[in-house]
This record gives sequence, C-alpha cells and structure tokens, in this order.
Amino acid sequence: MLSEIAFYGALETGLIYGLVAFGIYLSFRVLDFPDLTVDGSFPLGAAVAAILILQGVNPWLATGAAVLAGMAAGAVTALLNVKLNILNLLASILTMIALYSVNLRIMGRPNVALLGEETVLEWWYDTFDYLPYHTVPVLLFAIVVVIGMILLWRFMKSETGLAMRATGANARMARAQGIATGAMIVLGVALSNGLVGLAGALFAQSQGAADVTMGVGVIVIGLASLIGGEAVITPSTVIKALLACVVGAIMYRLAIALALNANFMGLQAQDLNLITAVLVTLAIVLPGVRTSIRSRLTRNKA
Amino acid sequence: MISASNLKLTFGKGTPLENPALRGMSLTVNQGEFVTVIGSNGAGKSTFLNSLAGEVMVDSGQIVVDNQDVTRLPTHKRARNVARVFQDPLAGTCESLSIEENLALAIKRGQRRGLTAAVKARYMDQFRSSLSTLKLGLENRLGDKMGLLSGGQRQAVSLLMASLTPSSILLLDEHTAALDPKTANFVLELTQQIIEEQKLTALMVTHSMKQALEVGSRTVMLHQGQVVFDIAGPERDGLEVKDLLGLFEQQRGLQIDDDSLLLD
Repeated sequence: MLSEIAFYGALETGLIYGLVAFGIYLSFRVLDFPDLTVDGSFPLGAAVAAILILQGVNPWLATGAAVLAGMAAGAVTALLNVKLNILNLLASILTMIALYSVNLRIMGRPNVALLGEETVLEWWYDTFDYLPYHTVPVLLFAIVVVIGMILLWRFMKSETGLAMRATGANARMARAQGIATGAMIVLGVALSNGLVGLAGALFAQSQGAADVTMGVGVIVIGLASLIGGEAVITPSTVIKALLACVVGAIMYRLAIALALNANFMGLQAQDLNLITAVLVTLAIVLPGVRTSIRSRLTRNKA
Repeated sequence: MISASNLKLTFGKGTPLENPALRGMSLTVNQGEFVTVIGSNGAGKSTFLNSLAGEVMVDSGQIVVDNQDVTRLPTHKRARNVARVFQDPLAGTCESLSIEENLALAIKRGQRRGLTAAVKARYMDQFRSSLSTLKLGLENRLGDKMGLLSGGQRQAVSLLMASLTPSSILLLDEHTAALDPKTANFVLELTQQIIEEQKLTALMVTHSMKQALEVGSRTVMLHQGQVVFDIAGPERDGLEVKDLLGLFEQQRGLQIDDDSLLLD
C-alpha cells in the first residue's frame, strides 16, 4: 500500500509540519489571532537558511537565523495590528504578500538548490550510518519536535505564557490584571512565525532546495494538522494540544501519501491541493458527526 | 487614596451621536472609604469607573492615585493600584483557564511576569485558604476549568482575585446585577466581608438605592456626568430611599423618570 520510503518520507515532512502546527496553535488558538503570515515566513526561513548555507555558514547557525527572520516577520504582522490598528487577518496578508518580494530578494532567484551542501543532516547521516538512509531525518526531526514541544509547554505554563493565554482568551481581564496585551500579541505572533521559519529551514534542508513558492498553502496544511489532531486528541490541556499538533501533522502527511499511492483511486500528484481541501473539510466536520452519533446512541440506550 | 478632578469626556465628538458622558466630574475617595455610587442610566457611572481604570481616556481633567498622576496611563500600567470586578461574570475570569491559573494571574497583578512556572507550589496554601472562605468547595477544585463554574461562583472568584494582592482602590461595577437575588446577596455579603477584613478602599456602582444606603460608608449620586450629591456619616445613617429621592429632586429640581432607580 505504502512503500517504506514513502512512509518515512511522510513521517519526516509530518514532523516538520508539526512545527508549523505549533506555530498555528499559538496564533489561532492561544492568541485567537488568525495569522496568514506563515505562507510567507515558511519560505522566508527556507531562503535565509539556504543562502547562508551556500555561503558556508554552519547549518545550525543558518537555521537559527531562519528562526529569527521568521520572528521578525511575525512581529511586523503583530505591530501592524497592534500599533496601526489594521485588522489582524489583513495585517498578516500584507506581510505575507510583502514576504514574497523579500524572499526573492534574499535568494536572488526563484529557487536555490542545496544539493551537496553541508546541511544539519550531514552529521546525523555520518554518525548513524548503520541506520537506513531514509530514517535518519525522521530521527533528527523527531528530536527537534520533542525539544520544541517541551520548551513550548514550559513556556505556556510560565507566568508570561499564562499572560499570553489570558490575552487571547479575555483581553479585557488580562489588561485589568496588568498584562500589556499588545506586547503579548507581538511576542506570541513572533514566536509562532519563528517556529514556522524553523520548519521552513528544516524543510529546505531535507528537500535539498528552497523555492519561493514553497509557502503556498502552508497555512491550510498547518490548520488541517491542528484541526485533525484536535479531532483525535481533545486539547483539554496544553500538552495535549501540542501533542495533537504533531499527531495531526503526521496523520495528514500519511493520509496524503496514502491517497497519492492508492493507484486504484487514480489520484495523481497534481490532485494534492484538492485532497488537502477534502481532508480539511473532513477534519472540521467529523468531530461534530462523532458527537451526534454518540448522542444518538446514548439516547437509544436510555 | 484616589482623586479625580474635573474629568470631562465626550463620546463620538463631532458626530450626530455626540454624547458628553463626563462633564466635570470630581471625587476624592480617602483611604479605607467604601463609596457606593448611584445614578440613572447614562449618568456616567460606568464611564467614570472605566476612566479610573484606564479603559477609557478622559479628554481633560486629572486622576491621581496614591499621589501619582495616572491620567494618561493605559489600563495595564494602572493595574497595580486598581483592582476591578466587572458586571458580566464572564468578564472577570478566563473560562479556558483553570481556577488556580486564574488565581495565579491575579496574584501577579501589576507585577513583572517572568519565565518561572505561573502556578507555584507556595501559592497553594493561600489559594486554598482564600477559596475556602467562599464556602463553595472550590478549594478542592483548583484544577477545574473556570468555565465549569456558575455565574455566581465566577463572580465570587473574581472578587477573591481582586483582593489577592493589595490595591489602592477596588472598583465594583454593578457586580451583582447579572446574578439571581440569592446569589447577588451572597456576593454582596462577601464583598462587604472582604472590604472590611482587608480594609480596602472601594467604589461600588449599584442600581439599587436601598443597597447604596445599606452598604458602605458614603454614597455619591451622579447625574449627567457630575456628582450631584455626596453624603456620609450620621447624616447618611438616618437616610431612607424616599429621602434620597427627595434630596435628588431638591438638588436638581428634576423629576426622576427612571423606573430602575425607584424599584426596591
């Protein structure tokens, strides 16, 4: 049904999109800030990392720079909203559009190949040469995702993190408790896009190229992962919500891989966006269907 | 101590809906005073409270809290000195956060927030003992989501949150108005108890003249964005609702046509 390579490939990209889902969880769920900047900050992270790696910079430093670039992009969106009172959705679209030009400027051309360059993966390939080649990235990205998850979880439980959650849940109450809600939005959206920048940088290194169009639809994939994950794991606590992000992202990539590999269905690579839209719709609708079936069953029992 | 002098504020300036909410409002509340505020709809009660808290900025005038001019400071910079309980029971707490998380937010009101864990073990005794004074059994439900609580319970917790850290003034904006009579009574008694025990300075807006006279140590009536009378001490003790109405008419030479003020 699914070859081993396709399976590990799905895990690999699923883990990377798990980082995107973390970012989207921060903006959409924690801050209640619908942020489309990610369609621009994902390729921004890829572009920054790729160009720096080509110039011989240490790949981890290049990846760190990609995180900072993503954070800067997020901060711009949040400042447009907080300081200039532009509607959050529109502010994020403005930044996203602007980033398209910025990304072209950074790369100097529409795409940059990383084949044969020193990426974060090289050391892992060398060290774990006894593992099958296609499982090494999965190992590395799993470690990155787990570290990211623990740090985010600790942050959400901290005084500042709690203030951020209060800002998204009840801004008036947050202000009355002395929380600078504007600053929390800037910090949160920056953090969210920093994570997406990290995902972009890792994606470019795992795929061997950065491309200016690779950000198209990242927001939909991230949302699909988030909503799908929440349908499987009820996000009643922060750690469950973060877990749902990763599980949702991996499920999503596996579903895509399955759909594309199911030759009998006659689907081809160009059907990817259509499948995505169908999966997102299912993920949104299914939890409701599940509850209505359950309530019907319990009613029958009673 | 909190002092407001000659506050003026007009909503929708220069539009057909121009509405002068505060027209030279002045009021000084001394340390330890519990002032009840009454007035008909549109008298400027809520706007006055919002201007003290920083939710709205006055056009002119001056607000001084503990000898500090806070007139131009935003809400979050005044929060150290100003504690609030809102009319809407949903407004004062975060329903998606647990009870202990809400309390942990409040215990840091107006202070720097760092990266250490928000809900600290050393808070727990204080949280439990203050929750147990409510006699609602909430001290055993610290991890429950706030959204699971009823409106009255949430309002009681809001009150507790406002008194967890010291403040120069506690602002209560018709905080019992949205509750059923029995719960409203409970929350009002709790209010008096907390204010008395902690010797808080408080300003309570109410729609009920009876409540305005029974609770607190001083009563202020607002009309058209100004203080029309201000009464305290023995003079206030002998006062009844009908006297209050008489006083009001005498002061302004007006008939009160707002039913809500006459009720109960």
